[in-house]
Amino acid sequence: MRPAYSERPQLVVEPVARLIEEFSRLPGIGPKTASRLTFFLLRAEPELAHGLAQALHDLKDQVRLCQRCFNITVEEFCPICLEPSRDQSVICVVEEPLDLLAIERTGAYRGLYHVLHGHIAPLDGVYREHLKIDELIARLRTEAVDEVILATNPNTEGEATAYLILKDLVPLGVRATRLARGLPTGGDLEWADIDTLGAALEGRREL
Amino acid sequence: MYVSNLSLRDFRNYRRLDLELASSTTLLYGVNAAGKTSLLEALYYLATTRSPRSSSDRELVNWQAEGEAGALPFARIAADVQQAHARTRLEVLIQLRADESSTQRPQLRPQGSAQKLIRINRKPVRALDLVGQLRVVLFTPADLVLVYGSPAERRRYLDITLSQLDPHYVRTLAQYNKLLQQRNSLLRAWRERRRPLRGIDDELGYWDNELTAAGGYVLAERLRAVADLNTIAGTLYDTITGSGQQLAIGYDSSFERPTDTIEGAALSQRMLQSLRALRRDEVQRGQTLIGPHRDDLTFAVGGINLGIYGSRGQQRSVALALKLGESRLMYERSGDMPVLLLDDVLSELDMQRRKHVLSSIRHTGQQTLVTATDLSDFEPDFLQQAHHLRVENGQIFAL
Ligand SMILES: [Zn+2]
Repeated sequence: MRPAYSERPQLVVEPVARLIEEFSRLPGIGPKTASRLTFFLLRAEPELAHGLAQALHDLKDQVRLCQRCFNITVEEFCPICLEPSRDQSVICVVEEPLDLLAIERTGAYRGLYHVLHGHIAPLDGVYREHLKIDELIARLRTEAVDEVILATNPNTEGEATAYLILKDLVPLGVRATRLARGLPTGGDLEWADIDTLGAALEGRREL
Repeated sequence: MYVSNLSLRDFRNYRRLDLELASSTTLLYGVNAAGKTSLLEALYYLATTRSPRSSSDRELVNWQAEGEAGALPFARIAADVQQAHARTRLEVLIQLRADESSTQRPQLRPQGSAQKLIRINRKPVRALDLVGQLRVVLFTPADLVLVYGSPAERRRYLDITLSQLDPHYVRTLAQYNKLLQQRNSLLRAWRERRRPLRGIDDELGYWDNELTAAGGYVLAERLRAVADLNTIAGTLYDTITGSGQQLAIGYDSSFERPTDTIEGAALSQRMLQSLRALRRDEVQRGQTLIGPHRDDLTFAVGGINLGIYGSRGQQRSVALALKLGESRLMYERSGDMPVLLLDDVLSELDMQRRKHVLSSIRHTGQQTLVTATDLSDFEPDFLQQAHHLRVENGQIFAL
């Protein structure tokens, strides 16, 4: 039997209901916020909605991953990989592009990056093959790299990820380091303050 | 320690309650389903962040509860805990969640239908921080399953006792359980052939190290508790039964532990070796086969296992000795007596056991809440010393 309410005529017209539903799929947005955003856009100047639609479209259409480090970019390679003054002998491995941005903000790092796009989390079905680990190993085989900084988050999943990468680095003979302790454990790099993160980078330890 | 004030809002059948409690014995009486057990349940919840009788927090919220200003309905438990030199205000808010809509991202794991907000002295804290602020020992007729029930019951007994005593234990145990789930997911993926088997040692390496580090600590603390309980509860059993026999509590490990040490690091090391030797079995079964989550307790008198061969009377005496022992252990380790919650247990006991329980309460001056439907279970001088509260339809009347 169908529930009673669906037999009544729909109170909210379809395009409005659809946008509310789309907004509610976003993290941190419940049905209430979704309705508020939708009705705000409904009342606002058309340019706002059109600009937003275009931005969303371009996001998926134009943004892609750097062929070398998997940072987000609109070209084949990202701005960092294209900058000749960066130290080509160090790679800093991070979980997400946002972590890369956090490290860039410290100004304490001039090397290259490698973005894994996630961390090991078997409970959520995320395993080694879902991360850009094989791609990192392939890079290390072709590029002249002296040091890999494992800058995954200082929590269980981040540590598990660093451990697994380290296992692959040993046979390659590449020096591996880990950010100094002092970052709030269990936290995300993304939220660490600039000074703490800068210090953790300076004081990185050998693995 | 004792609870000087308990206030409830929309908790079970209590709409609003603000209750002063004596530091000695209080007798709560009333007909069945009046709300006596719910009162003990509220205190137990504050001590352990979970209910002894229901697995879903949602059930704790009164069905008529309404949220304020459009917020979702919630139940609230708050209490003042009085210790030698300090008073602590504990507070738990159990708030219903909106029903998950079908548009939620599928990769989100299903969440409980209620969320907890916890405050200590009005400061928001995590659930784990609450455990140990108030220490309670709960006696219920269901305690008998400690003796003849599944091993999980006996592990829970040790874990709840130790968690209330040691903040490091409750955190390490939570960490252990989380690591266990991750490791089991990894093993299950291989069992179901969803992933290639290459690099299995590397992939398990981190989880093996962390799991055994936490597991060794948990095991060491449990073994230390069992050693203490043997001294305490072993003798209590004799006093309760008058049999002249001591109770021997054994700890059954899921792997062969070293005989010469109960030190955490050594236990971790041995657990790690045993795990590595079990690779093939674990992948085949898709789960972690050894560790504190697979262990058990045994109870024996004169070499006879009472869990299997004991009479109901003997089993009741064991359960009682374990509970009184738990209280004594908490006192010995913390220097402070826990609050005793006796939920309708006396009617189950014969004269001698009942007398033993009542006299051990009276002599300690420990805060004790006793529920009963029938006052004839109690001796006159006990009734005279206790504070009486009548419970009726989620309301409480002092006499
Ligand atoms: Zn790049």
